[in-house]
Amino acid sequence: MADSHIFAPDHDAPIEYMRRTRDYYLALGYDNPYRWAHYVDAPFQPPTRRLGDSTLALITTAAPFQPDKGDQGPGAAYNAGAKFYTVYSGDTSVDHDTRISHIGYDRKHTTATDSTTWFPLPLMRRFASEGRFKLAPRFHGAPTNRSQRVTLETDAPEILARCRQDQVDAALLVPT
Amino acid sequence: MSLVARHLERNGIATVVMGAAKDIVEHAGVPRFLFSDFPLGNSAGKPHEPDTQAFTLDLALKVLESAVGPRTTVQSPLRWADDGDWKLDFSNVARMSPEEVARRRAEFDKVKQVALGQRKQAGVA
Repeated sequence: MADSHIFAPDHDAPIEYMRRTRDYYLALGYDNPYRWAHYVDAPFQPPTRRLGDSTLALITTAAPFQPDKGDQGPGAAYNAGAKFYTVYSGDTSVDHDTRISHIGYDRKHTTATDSTTWFPLPLMRRFASEGRFKLAPRFHGAPTNRSQRVTLETDAPEILARCRQDQVDAALLVPT
Repeated sequence: MSLVARHLERNGIATVVMGAAKDIVEHAGVPRFLFSDFPLGNSAGKPHEPDTQAFTLDLALKVLESAVGPRTTVQSPLRWADDGDWKLDFSNVARMSPEEVARRRAEFDKVKQVALGQRKQAGVA
């Protein structure tokens, strides 16, 4: 149609990661495609108090830097050795060196030189100091292994328990 | 991570996910989702741009406060680049030579072995 030039290009839409990934591994010769978590419904808990009075926790998939686990720096190749397999927590009042080399992020178009893009703790401290919310005393690291069963039966309950210990009202989850 | 959000929410903790993989998060189904149409690795804003990072966190908080029901997705108005050509690259076999595909397969086989060894060591294999 003559009017098509007024629209954005078709490819300029959110990437279909599931399809792209399935096609990718099929082309590599693996015919046992990963099955992503899928539910038709979702739970909903309206906030119980105003945000300024709420304790907010940060949940991350980033890993603590482990000097003995190979290259985890900006631009590092995918590093499965840097994965972690149990929930970890850290004190939100101090800075932490977290990395994402264990995750399949976009290594062509991003370089992982600025940890605030995956671990916004310093920014959350600033917002909390401005009264936007109360920052929970700990953040929590969620393992990213391929076992959804472990996530459902072990990791998620563990993170919930730690949030309850800290009397958390709300959580910001930042997957990479 | 979506599974963790669902579990917290079901147990009384309101959640918002900040993410860049729209289809994967929505396929799982989460209560609240701030989607940034950025390359994976930038869920919380653009690198070395404190303003876009603060904008993204602020928007996520607004989604947390104001969503009226589950599966609320808000798309950040921020753009990664003037055009969307970066989206054509990620794991796109149509853009790879047979040699590149073979190299990646060899690399992935190695990575799988490392990951399996790690899982065994951690007792989750």
